Amino acid sequence: MRETGAGYLFSGLALLSVVLLVLELSTRLLTPMRENLATLVSPIYMLAEAPYSIAGVVDTFTSSHEDLRAQNARLQRRVLELAQISQQYVALRAENDRMRELLGSQSRLPYDVLVAELVGIVPDADTHQVMLDKGRDAGLEPGLAVVDAHGLFGQIVEVGAFTSRVLLITDANHAVPVRVNRNGVRSIAGGTGERAQLLLEDVPISADIVDGDVLETSGLGGRFPPGYPVGVVQSMLVSPTSTFAEVTIRPIAQLDRSRHVLVIFQIESTSGAGP
Amino acid sequence: MNPAQGGWVIMLSLIVAMILMVLRLPEFMPDLGLLRPQWLLMVVFFWVVETPHRLGLVVAWLLGLLTDVLLAHPLGLNAFILAGTTWVGWVFYERLRMYSVFQQCAVLFVIVLLAEACELFALSLMGRVGLSWELLTTPAVSMFVWPFLYVLLTRLRIAARVA
Repeated sequence: MRETGAGYLFSGLALLSVVLLVLELSTRLLTPMRENLATLVSPIYMLAEAPYSIAGVVDTFTSSHEDLRAQNARLQRRVLELAQISQQYVALRAENDRMRELLGSQSRLPYDVLVAELVGIVPDADTHQVMLDKGRDAGLEPGLAVVDAHGLFGQIVEVGAFTSRVLLITDANHAVPVRVNRNGVRSIAGGTGERAQLLLEDVPISADIVDGDVLETSGLGGRFPPGYPVGVVQSMLVSPTSTFAEVTIRPIAQLDRSRHVLVIFQIESTSGAGP
Repeated sequence: MNPAQGGWVIMLSLIVAMILMVLRLPEFMPDLGLLRPQWLLMVVFFWVVETPHRLGLVVAWLLGLLTDVLLAHPLGLNAFILAGTTWVGWVFYERLRMYSVFQQCAVLFVIVLLAEACELFALSLMGRVGLSWELLTTPAVSMFVWPFLYVLLTRLRIAARVA
């Protein structure tokens, strides 16, 4: 009795698992189910992150008066610097809009952003994903771009009620359309699975790219808003036997250090590049 | 998993195991992600062998679904692995209980290795990984952690009188 009953039940569950796997790998039917389950397991991530959040709170309470004053002074200087840059930005923006009007093209819309905090890292050596503390309750959607204070960070791939999962730009399954900010040469920057490296795909050896060039998102494909820095060209290898050069990029965003990131809300165009 | 008769101990240990699965080390420490043992599988295995009537196949399968979402694996992968572990534990629990803890280590090594092989297969279909010696690290680490986990959980079980 014991052997047969459990055996049948296990066979049934195994079959169900395989069906789920196939559905998951070939369709998007299971997305709502995943999102509900993600809501259910989000406390686990919160609990795993609790030591760090508590350490942060304790740290703010115990930091000394002098430290706080020094930090305050530093931040005030920084605000002044940024305010000065933003004054110029307003003027440049107005000028840019006038120019675009003269050319008859639409002026760019400003994007809404939302600050989110990292609450976990997906514990898998071969994928680069992190969890954010904002979810559907804050209006997040799969496909939104995420940046940190320095550059492009990744994109949202799964949204639970209170958390969401972000695929980093260095993940081997991620790619982002970019252009060289110096001359507008377009390419696609693919992740390699290495923490600090992206690769430009299929660059002709004649392309005008040199070491130190800054790459920014081109906005083609409609998934990422244009103009966010992605990486700096580290090296360009030309093999004598190939018509394509191998260009390695160092990401500008601090993918392994940033704790606060910005989610960019944009009007999604119809043609989105898949994750 | 009836909360009475110490069922809360089972639930608590399963939740702690899930937290350990996603716990990260502070930034200043080296990245030891590869050495992470299969915590949840080991805890499920312990409870199935020791108290076979308390943790059923369906519960293990549902736990696996949650783990899939937790680890960003395709749905069904860990569900299958945990249900399989439960089934093996359930069929052989009388024999496994007679084994010394080191013989159990060997059995666990094989189970975790099979689990890793399933994982490799499913993740390769997603285009995520290639085969390497790293496949053996998780089974080996799990095997070394097992005696300590066994002692700890046995004490918990006796203290909480889980029947």
